[in-house]
Amino acid sequence: MQNLIAFIKRLRFFIVFFVLQFFALSMYVSFMSAPRSSYFTTASYISGNLFKIRHSITQHFLLEKNNEALQKENVNLRKSSSLFLYNEASQETRVIDSTSAQQYDYIPGTIINSTTMKRDNFFTLNIGNIQGIEKGMGVFSSNGVVGIVHNTSEHFSVVKSVLTKNINIDVLLTEVGASGMLKWTGENSNVGYIAGISNDIVVPIGSKVVTRGGSGIFPRGIEVGIVKNTITIEGEASWHIDVEFSQKYAALENIYVVKNLFLDEFKTVQNQ
Amino acid sequence: MSQLQIYFLRLLLFLFLQSFIFNQLEISASIHVMIAPLYLFLLPFDRSILSLLLIALVLGLAIDATSNTFGLHTSSLVLFAYLRPIVFRVFSPRDGYDSLKSPSIFDMGNRWFISTFSILLFSHHLWFFILEAFSFSETLLILQKTILSGVISFVVCVILQTIFIKRAG
Repeated sequence: MQNLIAFIKRLRFFIVFFVLQFFALSMYVSFMSAPRSSYFTTASYISGNLFKIRHSITQHFLLEKNNEALQKENVNLRKSSSLFLYNEASQETRVIDSTSAQQYDYIPGTIINSTTMKRDNFFTLNIGNIQGIEKGMGVFSSNGVVGIVHNTSEHFSVVKSVLTKNINIDVLLTEVGASGMLKWTGENSNVGYIAGISNDIVVPIGSKVVTRGGSGIFPRGIEVGIVKNTITIEGEASWHIDVEFSQKYAALENIYVVKNLFLDEFKTVQNQ
Repeated sequence: MSQLQIYFLRLLLFLFLQSFIFNQLEISASIHVMIAPLYLFLLPFDRSILSLLLIALVLGLAIDATSNTFGLHTSSLVLFAYLRPIVFRVFSPRDGYDSLKSPSIFDMGNRWFISTFSILLFSHHLWFFILEAFSFSETLLILQKTILSGVISFVVCVILQTIFIKRAG
């Protein structure tokens, strides 16, 4: 007994060290996969507000670039609006479109804090539960896909960006018709890669990559980027396809969060 | 100002520098400047391991909360705090440490500072990047990040001491 007590006494600092280390690591592992609360993330009240103050100063640096991107998007939207199209059919044949229903709702927001060169990059948004943001919603910008909402609080939310390991967004090569998983190697914030496309499919360089919409998070057809390079992996039957992102994440400010109005229906159908 | 107040203010300063300056400063993918270990290093010689570990926990959690790392900084700072007394014992001068001196580069000299701080900083960075990658397939990248970031963090830590620490004598 005495020996045991002496042994524990000698090891007491190591035991404290071990307990603290266990606490930190279990927090890291559990928060990486599915955070249970918004404490200790930038969605928390204190950090969120600190980054809001910081953003109110730094937002002006990117103003010009962001205005340009939004202007471009406006032009594209106007091109597709019926007001700006010449109607070739006579007025009488036009009917109010009742064959389609709205499936997605878009909530605009602003990125108030972001990193792009860490191994896992998270973006903080200035919108949260109050605006209807929930965990697992998709986030995109006018130039392309951004990420998936990882954690929310009342006024802020944290987005797990495309620049993260294990982001796994399902994407589609439109010209080829093949689909795979979007991943990131952690080296270059402009290039990601697609895994899971069989290497007997010919993938031309420069083909367009868009979201597939297979998990109900993103609508089909949101831009991701273009194929930059295809590499064969030794001993595997699939390509390693490098994708040049269409969005430069370092200069990103205005985003939209996707709310799928049919998500519950989609999930029940999938689980049957 | 009392000693305690100085160390508390210095904690806030390091927290601010790490979270809002050095975590946002993105020079390249393999350079991540971490200066928080310097705070733990500069605590007085006669601090017990237990208090070092608890200070590391608080500092780490605060940095994690502002950089979405969910415990990475906490884990590596706790490791740093645990290793500090061990490395200090190995490099102890012949007649022990003078408790009136602080472990800064000015009080203890270049040679002592470079050998102890570089060992501790290297293990801190290595632990941090191993956990961050969380896979063995990125070993080369981990080593590259550790060495590049380690060297730059070390230089920044020396510069910070010349700015914020009063030169003895």
